[in-house]
Amino acid sequence: MSNIIETEGLSKQYGNVYRVKDVDLSVPEGAIYGFLGPNGAGKSTTLKMILGLAKPTEGEITVFGKRVNSKNRLENLKNVGSLIESPSYYGHLTGEENLRIFQTLRGVSKQNIAEVLKIVRLENQQNKKVSQYSLGMKQRLGLASALLGYPKLLILDEPTNGLDPAGISEMRELIQSLPQKFGMTVVVSSHLLSEIDQLATRVGIIREGELVYQDSLTKLHQYSKQHLAVRTMNNEVTKSFLSRNGVAWEAEDDYLIIPQMKDTMIAEISKALGQNNIGLVRIEERKKSLEDIFLELTGTAVSL
Amino acid sequence: MSAAIGMEVLKTKGRKIWLVVAVMMAVQLLWAGWAISNKDANDLVQGWMFFLYQFPMLNCIIMPVIAAVVASRLSDVEHKGQTFKLLETIIPAQRIFAAKFIWGSIYMLGAALGQLAIMIGMGFVLHFGGPVPWGALASYLFFTLVVSLTIYIFQQGVSMFVANQMVPMTLGLIGGFIGLFSMFFPQGLQKLILWSYYGVLMQVGMNWDQTTRATDFYWTAIDWSGLGLILVFFVLIYGIGRILFVRKEV
Repeated sequence: MSNIIETEGLSKQYGNVYRVKDVDLSVPEGAIYGFLGPNGAGKSTTLKMILGLAKPTEGEITVFGKRVNSKNRLENLKNVGSLIESPSYYGHLTGEENLRIFQTLRGVSKQNIAEVLKIVRLENQQNKKVSQYSLGMKQRLGLASALLGYPKLLILDEPTNGLDPAGISEMRELIQSLPQKFGMTVVVSSHLLSEIDQLATRVGIIREGELVYQDSLTKLHQYSKQHLAVRTMNNEVTKSFLSRNGVAWEAEDDYLIIPQMKDTMIAEISKALGQNNIGLVRIEERKKSLEDIFLELTGTAVSL
Repeated sequence: MSAAIGMEVLKTKGRKIWLVVAVMMAVQLLWAGWAISNKDANDLVQGWMFFLYQFPMLNCIIMPVIAAVVASRLSDVEHKGQTFKLLETIIPAQRIFAAKFIWGSIYMLGAALGQLAIMIGMGFVLHFGGPVPWGALASYLFFTLVVSLTIYIFQQGVSMFVANQMVPMTLGLIGGFIGLFSMFFPQGLQKLILWSYYGVLMQVGMNWDQTTRATDFYWTAIDWSGLGLILVFFVLIYGIGRILFVRKEV
């Protein structure tokens, strides 16, 4: 599968501080890429650089296989829809008029306005001034603006920010339907792990400007698999015993962490340890939650 | 570009910007009416010159206010709705800047034509002496436009760059007052101040006899160096404003 977005050593420095440092992002075609990180980690700055709204201090950006520069930026962005930080709108105009402005400037068919209004379920509110819209409606209008040209790539920065649970769920359903319905690749950023967990197929985790994890969500879930924590009277001898018997282990405090295994296997190990005069004092089942992994990777408390 | 200008027109829907221009023109009309009301038939012989002297003076304060309000009204919708970050992913930033300038210029042109209409209308109604000085009136329109557009582009640059519109509005008002008082400044200093160019490019001078308290107006030569300088200012301010806006990260 080819990558729609690739960045190489992407960095952004403000003063002496790197807000984004050496980020190598790769977003495969057709994916819903969850860009996860605590507030202020550098998500918006990274996305703004991809859209050319902020100039990278260092690094390269490739979108649709073309290296982005100031000359081809807008040509490349013809196939990109975006919603950055908060929706852009003219409050004194109606929803339809707002979309007409962006449709005209994009040079796409007028018919698209009615279609995207239907997709975001705003067709009954299109003649209402946007200043009278709720936050959820404004977000949906922002999504409609991004969808106007039926782009191949959609970049959504914190699209559920400020929405109530019903709004979040509605927005999530909408986003999830886009790759299947329109063949879009979606990059969605969030500081909410639960949101990305429910949405994304691939995830990138950013911490203090550095990409600390990037892979499929399935792989991230694998880290959270159950394992066993064993404590014996002599962990040193146990280590060599386990190694001799082909059981992988990892030392953690007074415990040895071994993979989850069948009851019969555990019984055999327990018996063997006893035969070797190694007293088994604790055997516990442990599970790393996704939150624990996020916490380990980002070093900050997770937002649920 | 035409699409971008067309969308600027749509964005001003319901913003009542023409009302601001109309109110300022009404002020100018009332002021002209009041100024001419105490003139007798002898004074009206120099009616055209009287207007061509008084209107530029009043413009020092009226036009900068119009420029500040128009530029601010055209830009604040973008700041309020955080639309620059979306627009700049669709069209080049320099086109946004140019479209705003072109549409804003229409308001400035409207104001300049409005005051020209007031002058000509009142001249005909009150039967000013001598033939209508069409050449001087055309020059007046041209000079007023050149100065007003230079002030406008300054205001637009600030309004698009700074989100808080109190900044450009205050600058506009301060500029207007400095322009008004710059009539008393030495010419060299006058030419350094944008807002004083309505006076610099005035085509009529005035003698005031202290003993008879009579005023006499006379035609003056056009200050071509002044015109050249304001055109240079225009190009510079447009260029700098555009660069700052294009480079600004949103």
